Amino acid sequence: MGRYARSRTHKGIRDQYRKYRTRNYAKDLDQIQEDIKKVKENGGDETILKPQEWNEDLPGLGQFYCISCAKYFVDSEALNRHQRGKNHKKRVKLLKETPYTQAEAEAAVGYSTENSRERL
Amino acid sequence: MRLEKCYFCSSTIYPGHGTMFVRNDSKIFRFCRSKCHAAFKHKRNPRKVRWTKAFRKAAGKEMTIDSTFEFEKRRNVPVRYDRELMATTVKAMKRISEIKAKRERVFYKNRMSGNKEREKAENIREIQKNIELIGASSTKIKAQIAKVTEKMQQNIDMET
Repeated sequence: MGRYARSRTHKGIRDQYRKYRTRNYAKDLDQIQEDIKKVKENGGDETILKPQEWNEDLPGLGQFYCISCAKYFVDSEALNRHQRGKNHKKRVKLLKETPYTQAEAEAAVGYSTENSRERL
Repeated sequence: MRLEKCYFCSSTIYPGHGTMFVRNDSKIFRFCRSKCHAAFKHKRNPRKVRWTKAFRKAAGKEMTIDSTFEFEKRRNVPVRYDRELMATTVKAMKRISEIKAKRERVFYKNRMSGNKEREKAENIREIQKNIELIGASSTKIKAQIAKVTEKMQQNIDMET
């Protein structure tokens, strides 16, 4: 691989590789779906997901949280602006699908678990 | 020997191969190779990526419902070693894979049947639509097309 070929893979793009670093790993869709379920079970009370006390390490002291995007915002205005936006709506749409699981991956090749004790 | 399935592409992962990712809620994800791991990190949905088994099954590209899938299973109960059982199992595995391959071939054949006629009809339709693009020099082609369309019309008439 030459110099140009190397720099022109997506790894060479700064924003790309920073986006996929482990430290930027946000919640996965299935985790968010669980969060939403939890909120629903509590009768739509979103406060259970918020930190109980003000968290100085988070934007807006962790008080303005968008559940479906797993993101903190500085104030309610920013949160509202986000929730009117394209990215948020896209995410809400994605969350309506049933989450992909390991079980589904295994079902695709007809692999399942059998725990019964009877001998074949 | 425990054989796992890849989270992304559902291929078999043999011991010593692939990567395991444990998320901070202690959920385990196994990947057969870096390709699958990278796709996961990009948060791709395996149902929408065309080369995964999940996609191929969902799109009807491969055999889904078949009795040959009932044999390979993860069994969490250990079985006492039995030489006879081992021998018959190995024999059965060979036979089952044979049957499976045969059925897959049939499935593929069925899936692809009628493609040639469809393609031909599509081609004829395209030529008929753009007949003016064919130059005057190709009267031979035009005559051929006229013949084919006549034949098709006849077929339709006969059917009705």
